[in-house]
Amino acid sequence: MGAFTGIRAMWAIAWTDVRLLLRDRAAAFFTFVFPIIFAIFFGLVFGGDAKKGKIEIAVVQIDQGSLASEFVASLRKMDGFNFTPVASEADGERIVREGKASACIIIPDGFDRGLENIFATGKGPEVPVLVDPSKAGETGLLQGRLMEQSFAMMAKSITQPDRMKKQLQQARDTIAKSKDVDLSRKLMFGTLFQNIETFVNDANKPGEDGKAVIGGDALSGFSPMQFEVKDIRKQRTGPTNAYEVSLPQGIVWGLMGCVTAFVSTLARDRQRGTLVRLRSAPVTRWQIVGGKAIAGFVSCMLVQWLLIGIFAAFFGVRVPNPPMLMVATVFSACAFVGVMMFLAVIGRSGEGSAGFGRSVILIMALIGGGTLPVFFMPAFMKPVSMASPFKWSVDAIEGATWRGYDSQQMFLPLAVLAGVAIGGFVLGSMMFRRAMRE
Amino acid sequence: MLRLTNLRKSYGNIVAVDGLSLEVRRGEVFGLLGPNGAGKSTTIGMSVGLITPDSGTVEIEGAGAPTTDSVRKHIGIAPQALAIYDDLSGKENLSLFGRLYGLGGRELKDRVHRGLDLVGLLPRSRDRAGGYSGGMKRRLNLAAALIHEPPLLLLDEPTAGVDPQSRNNILDTVRDLAKAGKTIIYTTHYMEEAQKLCDRVGIIDKGKLLCVGTVDELVRAYGGKSAVRIERGGKHERVETDAPVREISRVLAHAEAGEPVTGVHIDQPNLESVFLGLTGRSLRD
Ligand SMILES: Nc1ncnc2c1ncn2[C@@H]1O[C@H](COP(=O)(O)OP(=O)(O)OP(=O)(O)O)[C@@H](O)[C@H]1O
Ligand SMILES: [Mg+2]
Repeated sequence: MGAFTGIRAMWAIAWTDVRLLLRDRAAAFFTFVFPIIFAIFFGLVFGGDAKKGKIEIAVVQIDQGSLASEFVASLRKMDGFNFTPVASEADGERIVREGKASACIIIPDGFDRGLENIFATGKGPEVPVLVDPSKAGETGLLQGRLMEQSFAMMAKSITQPDRMKKQLQQARDTIAKSKDVDLSRKLMFGTLFQNIETFVNDANKPGEDGKAVIGGDALSGFSPMQFEVKDIRKQRTGPTNAYEVSLPQGIVWGLMGCVTAFVSTLARDRQRGTLVRLRSAPVTRWQIVGGKAIAGFVSCMLVQWLLIGIFAAFFGVRVPNPPMLMVATVFSACAFVGVMMFLAVIGRSGEGSAGFGRSVILIMALIGGGTLPVFFMPAFMKPVSMASPFKWSVDAIEGATWRGYDSQQMFLPLAVLAGVAIGGFVLGSMMFRRAMRE
Repeated sequence: MLRLTNLRKSYGNIVAVDGLSLEVRRGEVFGLLGPNGAGKSTTIGMSVGLITPDSGTVEIEGAGAPTTDSVRKHIGIAPQALAIYDDLSGKENLSLFGRLYGLGGRELKDRVHRGLDLVGLLPRSRDRAGGYSGGMKRRLNLAAALIHEPPLLLLDEPTAGVDPQSRNNILDTVRDLAKAGKTIIYTTHYMEEAQKLCDRVGIIDKGKLLCVGTVDELVRAYGGKSAVRIERGGKHERVETDAPVREISRVLAHAEAGEPVTGVHIDQPNLESVFLGLTGRSLRD
């Protein structure tokens, strides 16, 4: 009996158990489908994606001039965004850091002047935009709309001939006074300004859409405002989305389904007589249990990533650190394989052990935050919840998602999960001889 | 091929097997007969190493005790309680059991195919075993014992609860296996099966082996006398005798005087009379 044959036998047992789980409709439902429904349901109950469809943007208006005010007002009318005024640049930055807004637009001092001098200087005012780099999609959308808005702003200023004339006059004055501009240039600009003035008067005629003319090819490459994008590293202090809270809960239910299903496989094999076949084959007891452990691990990983995948793709759950999340899920899976091992052997009589295992698991899930997240629990429950491996699993997964733990902060939950895994294996194997007997 | 020496196994107060010694020869079909609760399954379980005897030894010729992997490879078992996965198809069941014995690839595929063919399950090989009839499940249970082509087969009531068609398929399969040189231990309650199939039989009751021998030997030794039944005037007369033919001619010679004889039967002793003679007629369990 070579090692290879043993490994082949172990995989055959594992693959059989996974298949049996997937083919048992009730078990498959409670392991894979119910947790998804549960997490969606609780996500909705806790407020779902509160600003559904709206992208949160903070606006700091430092220049109180009329153009700045008008620009801010025009931003607030934009669809799909929710602009919240904030007092200072520091506040705006903090809000982005905390993940309460995807970006912060700063209307700086001198905005009005910059816009008025646009023809003199050739470029508009600088507008810093602080963005959360993890929300590239949303901020990309914002930049596009800002650009559009800035053109609309300019168009508006042009379609107000008085303001435009003031701008042109300023530009002429600037150029006339300038010693850096030679005479031929001055003449050229003079003609240009004349033409613009004529154009503005034309554009103002009824039925003309100034914006369309201005925004056309003639001005490609030109931007009335300089949006300076600055990345703000997010400092995660809370979930930005209720699904980020309900996802780990769903995972708790999924892991619970796996454990329940696999706790009863040994009992099922005994009851159905198939344990006789496994045991009369040239397979060691360890290979039988190894096969079952692999099956449990695979199922735990499957259910965790199924949930993560669905919630990342459709419910806006952020996965800022996939390797960390992978580590968290691997440790969770190992811990629950340990729990399975322990429960599988602790009670050995057919249905009895499955029933006992189910109750233990259910209690652990409840105190570990399966229905109510631990941070919502009353204070006296918090130390109790520490006794549940589910709590540590949730902690590790939250740490790798919205809590944004660093490796030092991850250490405790991972260490506890590793301890549960090792403890389960050791206790399980101690009682294992007894469990495998007829 | 298989030598059991002084095996003993008890469960609490119940002595399931009580000092049983038995030798099964290479290439024979050995029938292990006994009433319910006699200890047949326990004996089979100890023979394959599933049950640890309280005392006594099991030895597979040239290999040793069936507690090590290499010895187990020599044994195929069809347990009395069906040991198949209902949620796997027939094919998947056999593939799994083949893999447990280290088979894989082309060879496994071929053997699975042959195994299913042998027990007539090819047309239903992709259906879940849970949907099979009792007879089909029994046949699959037998095929699972054969997948690794072991020289020693332990078949514990392989025909329990099946119709005559399935029974014939199973009996034919066993006969073919015997022809191919396998050593087979076959437990059953059906005397005619044992009579047709087995080279030797052993009768076991209350954990003890009562007798071993060919069917003829046992009938001669334990079958008792033949009986002659005469039908005359709607009545049956039964006479036990060692010489039934002589008894019949005597009866017929005297018959002309009285009422005419309408029927003559000879009840010859068979395995069933041996069995009932040795184990008694009272109900078990
Ligand atoms: N696991 C067990 N626990 C307790 N008693 C057992 C166990 N296995 C068998 N026995 C008892 O041992 C005795 C022999 O059982 P065994 O199953 O070997 O009989 P058997 O000859 O196979 O009967 P059957 O024809 O009904 O299958 C019976 O009295 C049975 O009740
Ligand atoms: Mg039996």
